[in-house]
Amino acid sequence: MGINRKSFTVSLLMVMMMSLLLAACGGNGNTKGTPNAGSTGEAGAGTEATPAAEPVKLEFWTIALQPTFNDYFNELIAKYEDSHPGVTVEWKDYPYDAISQRLLTSTASGKSPDVVNLNTEFASQLGSKGALLNLSEYLTDEDAKSYFDGIYNSTVFDGKAYALPWYTGTEVLFMNKKLVEKAGLDPANPPQTREELVEWARQVHEKTGAAGYAQQLVSKLFPIDGIPILNEDKTAAAFNTPEAEAMIAQMRDLMKEGVVLKEDADFSKQIQYFSGEQVAFQLSGPTFINFIKTSAPDVYKNTIAVPLPTGKANLRLSNSMNLVVPQKSKNPQQAVEFAAFITNAENQTAFSKVANTLPSSKASIEDPFFTESDGSLEAEAKVASSQSLDKATDYMVGVPSAGDINSALARGLQEILLNDADIKETLNKVEKEVNNIISQDS
Amino acid sequence: MYKAIRSETFTAWAFMAPGLLFLAVFTFWPIIYGIPLSLTDYSVIAETRYVGLDNFTRAFQDHNFLISLWNSLVYVLIVPVIQIIAILMAILVNSRIPGIKMFRAAYYIPVVTSMVAVALIWSWLLGNNGVVNYLLLKVGLLSEQVSWLSTSSTALYVLMFITMWKGLGYYMMLYLAGLQGIPADLYEAARVDGAGPLRLIVHVTLPLLRPHILFCTLISVMGAIRVFDEVYILTKGGPGTSTLTSSVYIFQKGLEQFNFGYASALGLIVSVLVGALSVLVFRLNRKGGVNSY
Repeated sequence: MGINRKSFTVSLLMVMMMSLLLAACGGNGNTKGTPNAGSTGEAGAGTEATPAAEPVKLEFWTIALQPTFNDYFNELIAKYEDSHPGVTVEWKDYPYDAISQRLLTSTASGKSPDVVNLNTEFASQLGSKGALLNLSEYLTDEDAKSYFDGIYNSTVFDGKAYALPWYTGTEVLFMNKKLVEKAGLDPANPPQTREELVEWARQVHEKTGAAGYAQQLVSKLFPIDGIPILNEDKTAAAFNTPEAEAMIAQMRDLMKEGVVLKEDADFSKQIQYFSGEQVAFQLSGPTFINFIKTSAPDVYKNTIAVPLPTGKANLRLSNSMNLVVPQKSKNPQQAVEFAAFITNAENQTAFSKVANTLPSSKASIEDPFFTESDGSLEAEAKVASSQSLDKATDYMVGVPSAGDINSALARGLQEILLNDADIKETLNKVEKEVNNIISQDS
Repeated sequence: MYKAIRSETFTAWAFMAPGLLFLAVFTFWPIIYGIPLSLTDYSVIAETRYVGLDNFTRAFQDHNFLISLWNSLVYVLIVPVIQIIAILMAILVNSRIPGIKMFRAAYYIPVVTSMVAVALIWSWLLGNNGVVNYLLLKVGLLSEQVSWLSTSSTALYVLMFITMWKGLGYYMMLYLAGLQGIPADLYEAARVDGAGPLRLIVHVTLPLLRPHILFCTLISVMGAIRVFDEVYILTKGGPGTSTLTSSVYIFQKGLEQFNFGYASALGLIVSVLVGALSVLVFRLNRKGGVNSY
């Protein structure tokens, strides 16, 4: 059998090309930019400036902060540059949806930014995959303790901190006063526990026909009730417990009753339902106010904010923004110092005043700005949420395949709560899937 | 003579070059690059390892991927429905009825409307308190509200309906172009032989539309397997895995969870499936068409 010369040449070319490509892929290791731990461990990043031997240009990326906060950042950057001769900061701002893709493409092309603003989920995902600098090697204990523990620990895996917490928001309970009063309840004495909240929601449903609230079916529902998703050493699923069964069964009953909307409602749908007065309560961060203000001004006028009753775990979920330093940053020491400067108590307090966000630094919260209310919904929500920052946590699974695990749990919850699948059977199935995912990682 | 041909060839290549370059960079290269990527655990951010055929063996043990493939195959069921309705609509708008141009435009509007807008409008219409539930409750076809997109028994079919609603006008226009290319004397001859309207459609229109039917079926099958926008915007594959299609699953694995190597392997498997279905469609539609042009 003779070999066709043309096919042979084509095959040879293909093999050569594939080998070249594989070689190119293999060269993408994280060898550059690894910190020299020995020389940096002692320096308190937030306290001392490391003089730059050569001029250093730091690239700083934020999410959707331009042009609203240009003045604040330009001033802050100028102040930093004055106190750190030889260091210049180039500030770039990207929309929320674009930053992850930008970071991936810039990392892939070898041009990494130095300090990047990321949400906790993305920071954890990148951190657990080894793409971010371990900041613990640069921070003193004092630096680490200046942030609220729950928020700081959300990106700590194996004792390594992958992000510095920045501005944040904790969930509060928004109530439609009109619906609550119509149901014969007193908004001045809001529910204190989850059980009371459920009772209120039930009464609202019975008396007004509106549902209590809508919620997204996500894995975080487990830790709110103190059910860990993985075991302590993160080697196996730990959520398949009688407590989880009870939690899900209760939710299923509430959905059947119409007390909780039988839907997997993401944030935009929740806004829609609250704006349309189809639900009386909303459990979310203060950013919700801006949306309700524009989508339903009448409902906004009728809305009050109170502290959110906590679940069995006695914690409140927060949505934090962080600053991270990519592993491939060419100036890691200066980058960490700059990130620590942006997130120190003084600068966080100033930013909260400008942006109406909450700080993640403990010292900031003592400022009267976070304790006094002028009676507006914004101020009430701010006071309510800032007083619960000590219970705030950004729960993260903390393994490289966290995204897979979260999706498996969300799908399981949907199967049970929306498709009426058997609770135990589904939990067994999801447990097997999660254990499979973890074993593929190791 | 030879010189003239060479000059023509050069001109042709010169005109094609920008398009070919674009295709090469953004279509052919990514497809080829996907092959070596599928043999690695490439994630952009972490070190890349060669994993051989692990991604492929993992794919066939991945329950969710197999479900997503099944859902994509179920999605193909809309292909014959969409083609039959589009042909009937094309025949209708090909007739000389006053105001027919308005209908042609009206049927085409969904095609040019952004999928995001279409999906959002349908999500409002199909919501718990949406118009669809309201009307069905009013006429007594429903006894209680149905969460059309949150119920596993209805969600996939609702999405298929939305895809069909949006795509009908496109195929209608292609068939209309085909109908207008059929010589009128063929109909005349058939009428002289005593053929009625139904026989005209079965014995003249459909056989002569076969090249169009082949083309439309082919792109429709590919579109059904690759369906993404409406599913991602409206259900993200849920509830559970009931609307998880292969494209959505590949997107989740690649761009949400950064398992680009695994996602490339899944992409290749789906490409092979699309290729096999395309061959099947070609085999089923070998002959036909108007030979006079």
